[in-house]
Amino acid sequence: MNIDYLINITVPMLEGAQMTVLLFFIAIIASLPLGFVLTLMANSKSKPLAWFAHTYIYVVRGTPLLLQLLFICFGLPIIPVIGDYLVMDRFVAACLGFILNYAAYFAEIFRGGLLAIDKGQYEAAQVLGLNRWQTTTKIIVPQMVRVALPAIANESITLVKDTALLYAVAVPELLYFAQTAVNRDFTIAPFFIAGIIYLLMAFVLTLFFKSLERRFKFE
Amino acid sequence: MGIIEVTNLKKSFGTLDVLKDVTFEVGKGEVVAVIGPSGSGKSTMLRSLVNLEQVNGGSIAVEGEYLVKDGVYANPQGIKRITSKMGMVFQHFHLFPHLTVQENLELAPRLVRGEPAEESRRKRDELLRKVGLTDKKEAYPAKLSGGQKQRVAIARALMMNPAIMLFDEPTSALDPELTGEVLQVIKQLAEEHMTMVVVTHEMGFAKEVADKIVFMDNGEIVESGSPDELFHNAKHERTKSFLHRSLK
Ligand SMILES: Nc1ncnc2c1ncn2[C@@H]1O[C@H](COP(=O)(O)OP(=O)(O)OP(=O)(O)O)[C@@H](O)[C@H]1O
Ligand SMILES: [Mg+2]
Repeated sequence: MNIDYLINITVPMLEGAQMTVLLFFIAIIASLPLGFVLTLMANSKSKPLAWFAHTYIYVVRGTPLLLQLLFICFGLPIIPVIGDYLVMDRFVAACLGFILNYAAYFAEIFRGGLLAIDKGQYEAAQVLGLNRWQTTTKIIVPQMVRVALPAIANESITLVKDTALLYAVAVPELLYFAQTAVNRDFTIAPFFIAGIIYLLMAFVLTLFFKSLERRFKFE
Repeated sequence: MGIIEVTNLKKSFGTLDVLKDVTFEVGKGEVVAVIGPSGSGKSTMLRSLVNLEQVNGGSIAVEGEYLVKDGVYANPQGIKRITSKMGMVFQHFHLFPHLTVQENLELAPRLVRGEPAEESRRKRDELLRKVGLTDKKEAYPAKLSGGQKQRVAIARALMMNPAIMLFDEPTSALDPELTGEVLQVIKQLAEEHMTMVVVTHEMGFAKEVADKIVFMDNGEIVESGSPDELFHNAKHERTKSFLHRSLK
């Protein structure tokens, strides 16, 4: 086994990793705000809204992400009558699945963050004359983010690893190229390289969140 | 006519009547101390004035404007306008932990009033000087002692130029050696003729600073009067025995 060989198998894996990274960013950028909206719905005074949000969160967290992805990619298109309109590009379908799934997890994290905020914060804001929007954006969200940040960091690293599920819906990504190389060349080196690439991504994320946590320490 | 007039105020939590027909008034520039045993409704009464609790009956008028009249509340703008005449200081400060001291002070005037930045900064520096915390303006609340936090909370309320300041046991959460610095600030406000209602367990302070003392028990105002009247010539047995217990 030589360096050239390693480079030869690493290059396609890095290309596959682009898919991984792309999915990661799309999923996290869309699911964080969506999760927050779900949290607001779950806490809302409107019974139907709260019920919808709670049920949504319960169903999504109670079923495997893999099942959800398979359902969106292969289940929706075979629904009678409307199925034909629900055929999506595999990658788009996967992004949708990840966003819908992670939004539920983030909603639950935000909900915990909200519960941690003392009701005196709302009262102080009200007495100073802040309206609800100002209270939410200037007082509540920053404190909620501080509480939620460690859990969000954790969830993000899980998301990086979950991108491997793209394999199951046949979108070529990092793991797909590793598996291909292993089958072709009968060597386990590609698995190690894949592992290292995942670790690197997790490492970068960890550094990023550590610095964010420092900024949100308020000391 | 008082700057605050409270008449026949009633409030219950479920079946518990917390305020039963509370009537009193506060004159402009007056310092009123509210005393009474735990659970007597002092906080509920104070919180009703700034609409943190909604009453079930009676009236509250501030500078002649009704926040609630015979149990019917003003419209939302009216409520906002009337409650903005009052600043409130809580037992547990409730500073915004994610903002520095100066940001805590400037937030409301900038956001709610759209006050120009220079104006807020000028006022903030003046008030921080007044409460003796000029050197802490960049600090986050987590780095302050309880006494310092409460002084920031007072300055924060004063930033909105209230006509009246309400205090709910401002020193009860503090170590005994830190109460003095907070009471000193309140005393200074009294010297400047700020109208104030102070719920307190500090009898010495009430005696020294208050123009009027209101004794509450079991959701009622049992009696009120000058410190001299209450501390030396209380008419009611309940007042006497409460003071007797508190002064021990
Ligand atoms: N949100 C609430 N829900 C139900 N009961 C309440 C609520 N707030 C206060 N109470 C009850 O109302 C009564 C009066 O409470 P309040 O806090 O006004 O008393 P207080 O005189 O301020 O007492 P303390 O000296 O302990 O602060 C108490 O019996 C209290 O348990
Ligand atoms: Mg109280």
